[in-house]
Amino acid sequence: MNGMEEFQNGSEGSFNSEEAESLVKECIDAVVGGDDYSQTHVNKWTASVVERTLSTLVKQGKPYKYMVTCAVMQKTGAGLHTANSCYWDTTMDGSCTVRWENRTMYCVVSVFAVAIP
Amino acid sequence: MDEYQEEETAFAVEEVSKIIKESVESAIGGNAYQHSRVHQWTTTVVEQCLSQLSKLGKPFKYIVTCVIMQKNGAGLQTSSACFWDNTTDGSCAVRWENKSMYCIVSVYGLAI
Repeated sequence: MNGMEEFQNGSEGSFNSEEAESLVKECIDAVVGGDDYSQTHVNKWTASVVERTLSTLVKQGKPYKYMVTCAVMQKTGAGLHTANSCYWDTTMDGSCTVRWENRTMYCVVSVFAVAIP
Repeated sequence: MDEYQEEETAFAVEEVSKIIKESVESAIGGNAYQHSRVHQWTTTVVEQCLSQLSKLGKPFKYIVTCVIMQKNGAGLQTSSACFWDNTTDGSCAVRWENKSMYCIVSVYGLAI
């Protein structure tokens, strides 16, 4: 991932990326931890991961709009590359990306948080 | 996806979709998947999209994501969920492919 501006830690007005990262990991583990890639279930998994992550973030009650994306890919040796770039207020807005894998699949979740003025 | 609105300040899905398609075509159109170049391609696609979007001069913040995957039979599923203002914010996703790879670009626009 590249093109991201640095976020600031410790300031109440900015996005806390570490907190978001551990939140995302818990959501992924809860939804797909222990499962093998299954074409019939993957649709449900990606939807569950984004909804669960989003509702947990919103419950924090911070003045942010959120976008959560999740990609699940079967491990067959294919190459996968993702990038993102953002045009926003670098002092207030931020993002966090979590890469997770098990034996049969990769899961990449990105959270983007944009402050509400 | 939000409905396309006539007002200038709503997220214009069609216009953004056109920008994405042009950026992808010019960055990777006609190329075959190459591990050594894909990093540069994803960067170029997002940067080109973003600079065209900011040239529109609308009061929006933008987030552009790009995924490129080699075609070798793997399954890929992506989803996204957004918490925003339905009347002004929007998103647009474009799926592009050629013989050797898939490219999925998503743009999220949030009104300031």
